[in-house]
Amino acid sequence: MNPAAVPTPLEDVQGDGRWLSMHNRFVNQAREMEPDVVFVGDSIVANLQCTEVWEKWFAPMHSLNFGIGGDQTQHVLWRLKNGELEFIKPKAVVVHVGTNNHQHTAAEVAGGIMEICRTIREKQPQTYIVALTLLPRGEKPNRLREKNSEINALIKETLRSIEMCQVINVDQDLVLGDGTIDHRDMFDYLHLTSQGYRRAFEPVYLLLTNLLHEDDPPILNNASSALLSPSSSPLLSPSGDNAPQTDTPATCGE
Amino acid sequence: MKMGLSQRQREELNKAIADYLCSNGYMDALEAFKAEADMPGEIERKYAGLLEKKWCSVIRLQKKVMELEVKLNEAEREYIAGAPTRDKRSPSEWIPRPPEKYCLTGHRAPVTRVIIHPMYSLMVSSSEDGTIKVWDYETGDYEKTLKGHTDSIQDIAFDHGGKFLVSCSADMSIKLWDFSSYECVKTMHGHDHNVSSVTFMPSGDYLLSCSRDKTIKMWEVATGYCVKTFTGHREWVRMVRVCNDGSLIASCSNDQTVRVWLTATKECKAELREHDHVVECIAWCEGNASNAVNEAVATDNRKPTYQGPFLMSGSRDKTIKVWDVGVGLCLFSLVGHDNWVRGLVVHPGGKYILSASDDKTVRVWDIKNKRCQKTLDAHSHFCTSLDMHRTAPYVITGSVDQTIKVWECR
Repeated sequence: MNPAAVPTPLEDVQGDGRWLSMHNRFVNQAREMEPDVVFVGDSIVANLQCTEVWEKWFAPMHSLNFGIGGDQTQHVLWRLKNGELEFIKPKAVVVHVGTNNHQHTAAEVAGGIMEICRTIREKQPQTYIVALTLLPRGEKPNRLREKNSEINALIKETLRSIEMCQVINVDQDLVLGDGTIDHRDMFDYLHLTSQGYRRAFEPVYLLLTNLLHEDDPPILNNASSALLSPSSSPLLSPSGDNAPQTDTPATCGE
Repeated sequence: MKMGLSQRQREELNKAIADYLCSNGYMDALEAFKAEADMPGEIERKYAGLLEKKWCSVIRLQKKVMELEVKLNEAEREYIAGAPTRDKRSPSEWIPRPPEKYCLTGHRAPVTRVIIHPMYSLMVSSSEDGTIKVWDYETGDYEKTLKGHTDSIQDIAFDHGGKFLVSCSADMSIKLWDFSSYECVKTMHGHDHNVSSVTFMPSGDYLLSCSRDKTIKMWEVATGYCVKTFTGHREWVRMVRVCNDGSLIASCSNDQTVRVWLTATKECKAELREHDHVVECIAWCEGNASNAVNEAVATDNRKPTYQGPFLMSGSRDKTIKVWDVGVGLCLFSLVGHDNWVRGLVVHPGGKYILSASDDKTVRVWDIKNKRCQKTLDAHSHFCTSLDMHRTAPYVITGSVDQTIKVWECR
């Protein structure tokens, strides 16, 4: 039995019941709001909603944030199986969790993430699943960083078996050439600064934009479309037909 | 090969392609490519993901360029023609212009609806904070808060003379307020879920409401009894609006349809399907606006062929559609909003449609030419609702940013 893949509610050791309050609020939000994108996971996800990039990139997509600081895979799994994915039909679900599973091996954590993605697939057959690689941690190379890389390598393999499920690298620009992490990207070498969020989540933003805009109608009624004839404005035509022409400078053929 | 790339760009492109091949595990192709392109050794880190990034950014840049061109074009036109001055403005032509006259704060959650009083210089806003607030749009003064609902308020409406206000809420109730004493005089229960929209019949003695319980209900104002229930929508009914003579009721739903009902018999006269997503809002195009619709669809020598009545709808598919209810046809679509369309109102002069959207803008559409005439960057978050005064030069908007704005028209 993999303990990272068994749905488990968080034990309320401090006694203020916050974890369950947040979960209940998420269940309610799922019932009332109609999100196109849902973010689930740990503090990396939770803190995203306090950033500028959330307001600028993700809020306009009609996103909900179901992140809870400190959550491990088994906790997120419990939440997803107990109401947070009911009543909604999001176009995409974004997942980042696993960096807090300290008592579990890399294989167990990867198994937990796999189980989360399976649960999402089962509850939301139409949605795209976007699994984020775990962020590196610690100023200098260390055991936990290696473990997270190992988990990342594992999920890149295993998640292939789930349809419409994609692993996105969010860790590529954070480790510098000398192997250190800059405090301007991760202020405590675990959590992201707003600059760090911009770096790490830009690929997520680009992918979601593409997923959500796949079947947009072409823009027809803007005042400018009358002024720009198709020949003078290659930008207005869909990328296919005119694309080769635009590579050539207009003066070339004359 | 005829290409506009410099030597350096070509090298960069090659490296980006190599990185793409490498990161996708196309190792055979990579080795072959490296050999052919004469590019031994490792690929530098700075090329990681470059090709994909460029691939995505072209689309974004195209979009950005188009937006900027629209803005430039508008700015040029205003610069050359000049916006009409205050004295020259004509009520049939005036449209809202930035900057806003007032930006009013007070709600503690997103504003869901804003409406203008039919007689006094007052406007009313409703919010997810469960309150209704009354404001003076001429002075920008806050007047009063109406409390009573226990959950998010979804819609509000005045009767013909503005003597009564009605509100509906996610708490599943409908409340009738005496607008002279600001007292709640009646609370109506009967829906089994969130009540999304409410409106008075033109005569003022009946109310219409619609709900997430998939029904539309008619209520007698005097007694508070539900007298009719219209069923047929397969999902959440988002908005209900009645035409001027009261004979037809239009509704729109999460089931992606717009339906038109005969008031007298509860019969569904038309089911209009063409939207690809939830239909958020509807408005009847009557009076002068119906002439403009006919001008928009008229072919060269033909006389107006459509009798109407005409209806427009705004959807999460980002389009606004104009329908001939009589024949059940979509006449044309207005495309330009970049996110959900949340609010629609017909300009009192009949030449324009105004729309509010989650792309944070308000747009003014020239009906005859089926074109977006003006875009206002209205709010810092989703723009949820708008209303326009029937005779005075004011437009009001409400937003998820919790503010209400008053715009003067010129």
